[in-house]
Amino acid sequence: MLIRQYVALLLLRAAARTLWRLIKVMAAAAVIIAAAPVSLVAAGAAVTAWACGWPPRRLYGAALWCLPMLAVWLAAAALSAPGSPGVPSGPRWYRVAGAPYDAWLSMWRLGVSGHVAQAAVMIAPAAVPLGLLAGGLAWAVRIYRMETGTGGLSPGSAISFDRRQWRRQARSARARIAAPGSVPLTYRNGDVVIGGTIRAVRHPAKPIAALPYSRLRSHQVVIGTTGTGKTTLLLRLWAGFMATALSRQAAGTGRRPLLVVLDCKGGADSRRIADRARRVLRDAGARATAIWPDDANLSLWDLPPGRLTTTLLDLIEHGHGAAAYYTDVMEAIVALAVHAPPAPPADSADFLGRLDAAWLATAYAGGDDDALAALRSGAHLIPDVALRFRSLWRRLGTGFEPAGSFADADAWYCILEGTAETSVAEAQARALVDMLASYITGPGRDADVLLAVDEFSAVARRLPIWALYERARSLGLAVQVSAQSWPGLAADEDERYRIAATAEGGIWLLRTPYPDPVVGLAGTRKYVDSTRRLVGAPSATTGPVAATMITAARWSDEGSSRVQLMPVVDPDLVRGLGVGQAAYVYQGGATYVQVKRLVAAPAALPRAGRRTQFPLPRPAADDTLPMAAAGATDAGGADAGAPDPGGGIPAAPAAPAAPAASAGHAPSARPPVQLSAFLDEVFGREAR
Amino acid sequence: MTVRERPSGPASTGPRGLGDRDIDGMLFIAEMYAAQVDLLAVVLGGTVPRARAAATRWRRLGYAESGRFGPGPSWVWLTRAGLAACGLHYPPISPALSRLAHTRAVAAVRLALAARAEYQQAGAFWRSERRLRVRAGSRAGLREHLPDGEVHWPDGTAVPWAGECWAIEAEVTRKTVSRTTSVMRELLSRTGDYGCAAADTAVPGRPARHARVLYVCSAGARPTVLRACDALGPLAARIEVRDLPRHAALTVAPDAAGAPWTGSAGTGGERAC
Repeated sequence: MLIRQYVALLLLRAAARTLWRLIKVMAAAAVIIAAAPVSLVAAGAAVTAWACGWPPRRLYGAALWCLPMLAVWLAAAALSAPGSPGVPSGPRWYRVAGAPYDAWLSMWRLGVSGHVAQAAVMIAPAAVPLGLLAGGLAWAVRIYRMETGTGGLSPGSAISFDRRQWRRQARSARARIAAPGSVPLTYRNGDVVIGGTIRAVRHPAKPIAALPYSRLRSHQVVIGTTGTGKTTLLLRLWAGFMATALSRQAAGTGRRPLLVVLDCKGGADSRRIADRARRVLRDAGARATAIWPDDANLSLWDLPPGRLTTTLLDLIEHGHGAAAYYTDVMEAIVALAVHAPPAPPADSADFLGRLDAAWLATAYAGGDDDALAALRSGAHLIPDVALRFRSLWRRLGTGFEPAGSFADADAWYCILEGTAETSVAEAQARALVDMLASYITGPGRDADVLLAVDEFSAVARRLPIWALYERARSLGLAVQVSAQSWPGLAADEDERYRIAATAEGGIWLLRTPYPDPVVGLAGTRKYVDSTRRLVGAPSATTGPVAATMITAARWSDEGSSRVQLMPVVDPDLVRGLGVGQAAYVYQGGATYVQVKRLVAAPAALPRAGRRTQFPLPRPAADDTLPMAAAGATDAGGADAGAPDPGGGIPAAPAAPAAPAASAGHAPSARPPVQLSAFLDEVFGREAR
Repeated sequence: MTVRERPSGPASTGPRGLGDRDIDGMLFIAEMYAAQVDLLAVVLGGTVPRARAAATRWRRLGYAESGRFGPGPSWVWLTRAGLAACGLHYPPISPALSRLAHTRAVAAVRLALAARAEYQQAGAFWRSERRLRVRAGSRAGLREHLPDGEVHWPDGTAVPWAGECWAIEAEVTRKTVSRTTSVMRELLSRTGDYGCAAADTAVPGRPARHARVLYVCSAGARPTVLRACDALGPLAARIEVRDLPRHAALTVAPDAAGAPWTGSAGTGGERAC
C-alpha cells in the first residue's frame, strides 16, 4: 500500500513537472510566434554569427547601425496623419509610442491577408534592430554557457564548440582578407594592417587587425617554425613600417625611415627572401633596398678612427689570460695603423699595407714619440697581426670595402652566412652593428631605425643579443628579433626571458611546438568553471561503454561554479596554428590574426646598358639625396645579365672605378652631383 | 633659322599651310598661356622680327592675338581657333597684367632647360601648368596647388635622373614662408597625378610623384624660399633652389634678347603628348 502510494506520488510529481515544462515551452513558443519578425531576425542573426564565428559585439554593432532607420520611422509616424496604416490615432507622442504596436497589428493583418512582403516592410524598422539585439544576446548567452561549461548536451560539447568556432572564425578571417584590395597596407592614421582577426582575447575584437606604428618602433619578438608564414608576417611588418614612416616624413611629422635586416641564416633561402623583401619594400615606397654583401657594400672605413680601431679589434678573436698581452699589443698596433697620418685607412688594402713596421716608422717619423716607442716595442709582432687581418679580410670578402653607407638606401638586407661560415658571420654581425651604431649617432643622422634580426643566436657568440638589445635601446632604435623556436631566440634561458620580457611592441607567435614560455609571459585571465552532475549514468564505468552511457545521460540541476585562472594564450591553439595564422601577444591579451600576404610587384626586366650602381647618392654639402623618387627610380640589374629583382635602385650609368686607396673617403661620381652640375649650367650656382 | 612655310609636302604641312616651326611656336604659346616675341623667337629658332612676322601671320589666320602691355616686347596668345587648331581644348585666355611677369619667368625657365643638350637628348617633356589645370578640373585652385610646370625625364635615357618627374616653381614675387613651406610640402608629398581621385592625391606608402622640386627664384623671392627650405627639414633634400635665368625679367628690351639660349628650344618631341 505504502509502495503504491509512493509510486503514485512519483508519477504525480513527474506529471506535474512535465506539465510545467509543457506550459513553459508553449509560453515560449507563443512569445516567439507573436514576435515572429523579431524571432526570425534574431534566429537569422544568431545562426549567421554561429556560422561565421562572429562575436556578439558584431551583432550589437549592426543593431546600433539600424537605429537611424528606427528614428526615421518613428519620426515619420509622428509626422504622419493619424489613422494612416501602421499609425495610431491620438496626440503625437502617443502615435510615436504606439507605432510599434500598431505596426505589429498591421503586419499580422497584412500577413493574414496574404501580403507578406508588405507585412515585412511594415514591421522591419522595429523588428530588425530588436532582432539583431536579441540574436546577439542569445549568441552571447550561448558562448557564455559553453565557455563556463553549463551548456551543451555532453561534457565534451564545450570543447567541440570551441574547436568548431575556431574553424569558422579562421574561415571568416580568410574570406575577409581574400578579396584583392580588401586590406590596405596601412590606415590613414598610420596603423599597419596585419590581416583579418580570427579571435581576440582581452583585445578589441575588430574585423581587421592593425598595429599602431608606435609598436613597430618598440622591440618585438617573432617566433615561428619554417613554413608557418613567418616571412610573410615579417615582410608585412617591414613594409608597413616603411610606408608609414615615409608618409610621416612626407607630412613633416616623422624622420627618415631606415630598415636594417640581419638575416643570420644565409644561403639561397635568405637570398630568395631578400629578393621578395626588396620588391615588397619598393611597393611600400622605399626608394632603394640594398642587399649586402651581394650587390652593395657598407664601408667599414667610414667609421671614425677611434671606433674603427675598436671594430677592427672586435673582428679578430682574442683570448684572455696570457693571451691578453697579445691582445694589448695588437690593439696598439691597430691603433697606430688607423691613426697614422695623414688620414685613416681608406680600405682593407690600405690598412693591410700599413701593418708594416717600416711604413709605420715612416708615417710617424719626426712626430709622435709615444707612437714611435710603441712601434719599437711591438714591431716584432706586426707581421703576425698583419697575417691575422689578411686572413680575416680574405674570409670577409669585399662587403666592408668602400663605398657604401646606411644612408644610401632606405632598407638594407644583410645576409650573414651564419649556418655555413659561423665565425665569419659573427665578425660580420659585430661589424654591422658597430657601423649602424656609428651611423645612428653621427651628426645629422636623424632616422627612425628598425633593426630586424633573424636567427641572431647563430652569430651571437661574440655579440650577445641582450647586448644588442640594450645597445639598441640606448640608441633609440627598435629591434625585431625573430627565431624559429624559443631556444633559437638566444643562447641561454635567461637571455631568452630577458628578450621576451622586454618586447614592449608585443610578441608574435606562429606555429611552434614549444610556446609555453611565451604563454607564461602572456599571463592568465579569470573564467568561471562550472561543474554539473550527470544523472542516468554509472559513475564508476569507464571506457567506450561509459562514453555511450554519458551521451545517453542528461544533466541534473545540481552543480557548482568557481572562478579559475586560465592562460590568455592557449598553447594547444598555438601548436595547431595554420599557415599564415599568428597570435599577437601584447599587454596581457592576445589577438589571433590571419596575416594578409603582400603580393610584390613582379621583378623588372633589366635594361640594356644599365646596371645597379652602389653606393646610391648620399647627402653631401653641395648636393641632395633624392628621398622618394616618383616611381621614377627604376631598377637595373644586380649583376650584368642577371634579371633585376626590382628593388627600386635608381639606375644610373656605370660609375667610374673607385679611386685608389690613397683617395681615401672621396665620394665616387654620383647622379646628384651631375644633376647639380646640370642645374648649375642652366641656372647658375645653387642659391643655398 | 627662319620660320618656314612649306605648303607642299604633306608630312611637314600643318593647318592652313603652317610649317613645323609655326606649330612648335603655337604649341609653346598654347601651353604657356602667352609669350613675348623675344621668347617666341627662341622657340622658332629665328630673330625677333621673324617671330613677329610669324605672329602676324597667325593673327591673320585667326589663330592668335597679340598686344603690347608694357615697355617690353609684344605678347602673343592663341585664340579659341588657334587652340583648336593645335588640338588643345584649353579655355582661351588673354594674358592678365598681373601675371605677365610670372608667365614670362616660367617660359624663360622652360626655354633655359629645353636649350640644354641633356634635355633634348633625353626627350624630356614639359607638362605645363595650363595642361595640369585642365586635368585637375574644378579642383584646381581650391584644394590643390599646381606647379608652374612638370618636367618628365623619360626612362631609358642617358641622364642619371632618367625616369624622374620634377615639379618646377618659378618664384617671382615673395610669398610668406608658411605658404611656401606648405606648397613645398604638398608638392613633395603628392603621389597621384593631377586630376586623379582625391583619395589618391597623397597616399601613404606610394612613391612620391615629384622626385624633386626645382625652385627658380628672383632675387627678391629667394630669401623666403630658402627660409621655407630650412623650415621644411629633411624633406628639403629634394628641393633645388636656383636663380631665374637672366632673360626671365619682364623688362627686357627686344634687342637685348639676342640669343641667350644655346641650342634649339626643341619642342617637337612634346607634340606627341
